[in-house]
Amino acid sequence: MEKFKDIIRQYPFLGFIIAFFILMAIPSIFFTDLYQSHLSSLIFINIIVAAGLNIVKGYCGQVTVGHVGLYAVGSYTAGCMFMYLGASLWITLPVAILVTGLFGVAFAIPSFRLEGPYLALATLGGGEAIRLFIENGEFFGSTYGISSISQPELFGITFDTPDKYYYISMPVMLIAIYFSFSVLRSSIGRAFMAVREDPISAAASGINVKKHKMLAFILSAMFAGAAGAVYAHLPPGYIHPNNYTVIEMVTFLAMVVFGGLGHIWGGIIGAVIITIVYDLTRPLYEYQLFIFGLTIVLTILFMPKGIGGFIDKYFIDRRFKKKQAVADK
Amino acid sequence: MLLKTKKLMKAFGGLKAINKVDFELPKNEIRGIIGPNGSGKSTFFNLVSGVYDPDPGSYIEFDGHDITEEPPHKVGELGLARTFQLLRLYQDMSVINNVMSGYHTLVPYRFIDAVVGRKKIWDQEKVIKEEMMDLLSFVGLADYAEMNASELSGGQRRLLVLARAIAGKPKLLMLDEPAAGLSPVNVDNLMKILMRLKEKYGLTLIIIEHILKVVMDTCSKVTVLDHGEKIAEGTPSQIKDDNAVIEAYLGKKMDDEEMRKALAV
Repeated sequence: MEKFKDIIRQYPFLGFIIAFFILMAIPSIFFTDLYQSHLSSLIFINIIVAAGLNIVKGYCGQVTVGHVGLYAVGSYTAGCMFMYLGASLWITLPVAILVTGLFGVAFAIPSFRLEGPYLALATLGGGEAIRLFIENGEFFGSTYGISSISQPELFGITFDTPDKYYYISMPVMLIAIYFSFSVLRSSIGRAFMAVREDPISAAASGINVKKHKMLAFILSAMFAGAAGAVYAHLPPGYIHPNNYTVIEMVTFLAMVVFGGLGHIWGGIIGAVIITIVYDLTRPLYEYQLFIFGLTIVLTILFMPKGIGGFIDKYFIDRRFKKKQAVADK
Repeated sequence: MLLKTKKLMKAFGGLKAINKVDFELPKNEIRGIIGPNGSGKSTFFNLVSGVYDPDPGSYIEFDGHDITEEPPHKVGELGLARTFQLLRLYQDMSVINNVMSGYHTLVPYRFIDAVVGRKKIWDQEKVIKEEMMDLLSFVGLADYAEMNASELSGGQRRLLVLARAIAGKPKLLMLDEPAAGLSPVNVDNLMKILMRLKEKYGLTLIIIEHILKVVMDTCSKVTVLDHGEKIAEGTPSQIKDDNAVIEAYLGKKMDDEEMRKALAV
């Protein structure tokens, strides 16, 4: 086991290739109907958003509540490019990432001067403004939304059903996680954390606080953009402004908080659990918001570092006890 | 001269926190800065390290660079490290991550390598981590490397702050009350570590300290500030006998006539 860990640590790419093959095999073994594939795609999309949100909120400590606006930008970039240019996912995905990254800059600028709840308000305004702009714009299909967005084609296969689209959303998710891991584990991730913990002290260590805040916002916006584009092309390919409301934002926040703010796996664990819970509680639609709000409050009260932190603490305690046992002998 | 200030000034409203301070520090010196509370010692640090912008007319030069207008991270990049009176540890990060983030400016790989996650950077990260572990064991915190910084004791936190400041291999290290709140034994321990670090890394030091024993024992020269002005500068023994310093700390010695006047009121 130790040897295996060492190999993974030396070739971080290997873990993702193994995960890729496992995830490739899962549908044919476990899935019984199309809905499960559809749900998996949703989980993957949410993982991308949550992983991005974890960068800016969990690691860099910038409270943004407008992330759903960036997600909408990603979706509508893809949607509009399809509607007006007939572009497929292969083109809309990179363009959506770039465009959303630019919007991320706009979201980063208030963070230079605002902190905590004030920044939350500013970004909340930004997110809602984007949604209202879309809802009232003829160009964006206004309240009709954009429908029948095409599914991508590759090697003569059209990924037009949920079970096929699984093989699109899954690799995108893995690549996104790979990027998030490599950024967060490097010196940049450490600098993000330093900015979160104490900007003045971080600056004294030679960390450019503004630059890293900007970087965190742009990176996480790019994640949201990628997720948005994949969501737009998800069969049946329909997007509507109502998919990008504050309710969705609360769900994303619940994912990151529940999974563990500032934990490298945080957004991923949270996205998987919350998406499944969200789906199971669909019959209780009126209470869903209440449930997620309560989840956030209870997690912050009793498990401030979420599930990720909980697991971490278990391992560190165990290692510490082992060391103590050795020392006692 | 490693650090030079000319007519350094900073006013908060009507209060002149630092008033026309000329300061010169050659390489490899240990300089103490003392003065009563509110005399502008910490403000001096904040001005030099770029946390505050000095008032117009001031000039600060570090290692040949004009750093009067530079933001704090630029000053840090040039090799001027500092600690804070209130420590400003990264509470919610592990001890090793605290120290490794102090190394930030020396990280050899580029941003794009980190994003792509090339194998090269993991090797370099490993080297950095080993180096930082050496530093931690040097200050005696190696056993706590994986712990959260918030779980350390007060004395250990002071050591960690020191380690974090040194991690970036600075040319000049400015310590703001490194021994505040430590027991005498711990103060001695800290000073011993400090001296060893100075030798190992060839540091130049500026120390603000209220424990005069520390200043008198370790510093080769002492600068005394009072009400934002430099009132004396010299070797510790010169400072001890300086009238202006005694006055600032203990008050003026009155003759009989003045005493009678004071009591009459």
